[in-house]
Amino acid sequence: MARFIARRVVQLALVLLAVTFVAFSALNFLGDPLVNIVGPLAAIDYCDEVEAGLREDSFTSINNSRGDCEIIGEVKAEFGLDKPLAQRYFTWLGNIITGDFGTSFQTQLPVSEIIAQKLPKSLMLMAMAQIIALAVAIPVGVYSAYRAGRAVDRATSVASFGLLSIPNFALGVIVLQFFTLRNQWLPASFDDTSFFTRVHSLFLPATVLGLGIAATYQRLLRTDLLTTLQEDFVHMARAKGMTDRHIMTRHVLRPSLFSLITVFGVSTGALIGGSLVIEGIFSIPGIGSEIVTAVIRDDFPVVLGSVVVIASGFVVINFFVDLFYTWLDPRVRAS
Amino acid sequence: MTGSVPSTTVVDDIADDHEVDDTSIKRLGFGFWIAISWIGLISIAALLAPLLPIADPNEIANGAPRDGILGDNFMGTDALGRDVFARTIWGARISLGVGFLGILLGVVVGGALGIAAGYFKGLADQVISFLVFSLLSFPSLVLALLITASLNRSFLTVAMTLGIVGIAPISRLARATTIQFADREFVQAARVIGAKSRRIIIKELLPNVLVPMGALTLLGMGISIVAEGSLAFLGLSVEGEAISWGKSIVDGSQTRDLNQNSHVAFVPIFAMFLTVMALNFAGDRIREYTDVRETAF
Repeated sequence: MARFIARRVVQLALVLLAVTFVAFSALNFLGDPLVNIVGPLAAIDYCDEVEAGLREDSFTSINNSRGDCEIIGEVKAEFGLDKPLAQRYFTWLGNIITGDFGTSFQTQLPVSEIIAQKLPKSLMLMAMAQIIALAVAIPVGVYSAYRAGRAVDRATSVASFGLLSIPNFALGVIVLQFFTLRNQWLPASFDDTSFFTRVHSLFLPATVLGLGIAATYQRLLRTDLLTTLQEDFVHMARAKGMTDRHIMTRHVLRPSLFSLITVFGVSTGALIGGSLVIEGIFSIPGIGSEIVTAVIRDDFPVVLGSVVVIASGFVVINFFVDLFYTWLDPRVRAS
Repeated sequence: MTGSVPSTTVVDDIADDHEVDDTSIKRLGFGFWIAISWIGLISIAALLAPLLPIADPNEIANGAPRDGILGDNFMGTDALGRDVFARTIWGARISLGVGFLGILLGVVVGGALGIAAGYFKGLADQVISFLVFSLLSFPSLVLALLITASLNRSFLTVAMTLGIVGIAPISRLARATTIQFADREFVQAARVIGAKSRRIIIKELLPNVLVPMGALTLLGMGISIVAEGSLAFLGLSVEGEAISWGKSIVDGSQTRDLNQNSHVAFVPIFAMFLTVMALNFAGDRIREYTDVRETAF
């Protein structure tokens, strides 16, 4: 187990490096951060050519005065943009490891502060969604496997198929219209006054997110339960005269939870994407809404910081899911 | 406590299930053809949108603003008086277009990488697998956001983004399938008679890998269409006047519209739902029909 963990930790470090590098170079390479800082109108190309000695910098030009090129030079030096990409990446990596994510172009606040303020709301939303998903999927999954092929099972199969086909934002819009606009049953936006109001106002968006995952969970769990139900120990338990309820919950459910645990990591990825979108629909000031605003305003450090935190969090969650899964099932370790 | 059920019930039901599977394996079934018909119908409508006798989707005040679904305009109008039905048909052009182009790119690139990794093994496999693993380490929408936020938001960029997001899961399936077949007798036979790698891959492996890819293409196209909608909600779908289902749903989701004339959002939602469900259903049926185990997504 120790060797296994050591190997996984090395892999974790490599993947974290790859993820941060992809995020950093996507935003630095595909998009030009200089344009984001000084604006697209500045004479960036012109000044590049001047710098390379391809043309003479002349005062006579109306739009491209020497002043522009000096400002651009200063900005480049200030943000370290005059250095090669690899060097900038490692400088940046060193900074974020010490918690320095830079400052927002827009608000001049440290990005770490913005993330610390927004992330807990998103995490709460996602945690509630997972709880709702499990609370729905496990009982429904167990009952549909117990009554496999009957009307209840067929109905839940159709329902979960429908749920898998409806995008979470569509479900969000429908639910928002029905529960908060047509009938004012639940609050339409996030209320931060107390823990209770937070749970209350996040209930609807969390349910929207949770139901989509619940459908995936229910399908997997049902399949695994049906496999377990064919095991000899189930017949044994039945022969001993145990009740169906006892057999289903004590003997069959536990060994059928493996697939559910493996997809827990994957579903977290779907949940992250979903909450980015759902936060906008339900006006939750979480990290998703922050990214959307930052993208619109070309607030590059906020986008990069948020994406890196989210992606790293996802990698780390998958790492622990992997470890937990291996610890539960020693057969995985051998292979 | 539920009443005691005879001990054979569950087992009998499982046996029943298998019988159902056995008979359905021989035929794709009626539902499959309904799903395919819907996909065909909406695709033709999308292709022929400029020729169809429908209103100009961008014409402001085509009808009275916020006209209901049973008003003068079939399916009503939005806040600017634009025809909702025409916008939904035109939206299909972009939604299906980026969905199809995206999954095509994903299948071609992902498939090639997966087959290469599965066939050549060794270093090629390790490098490709690590790349795929790194891509999969991003929540897919975060990866899409990263690309569209950095580049422009043209039709091709959005399609390409959806394709890049698909590469990793698709190549994983292609690799798994290739490994299954790479050491089979017919491949060894080809190798023994001196066939080159290129020939073995194209003639022996590709046809077998294409079968599960077919199902995945349909499922993946549904996922791409939904992803376009998600990007629209992040303000990152195709920019400008271009109409997509995602953008139409966003348009109709402003509080006032959603409150007073919810059909502006609900009509494209319904179109997207039906299309994604049809793609999922058809994909599922093809997968069961060709009896391939689930390895991706």
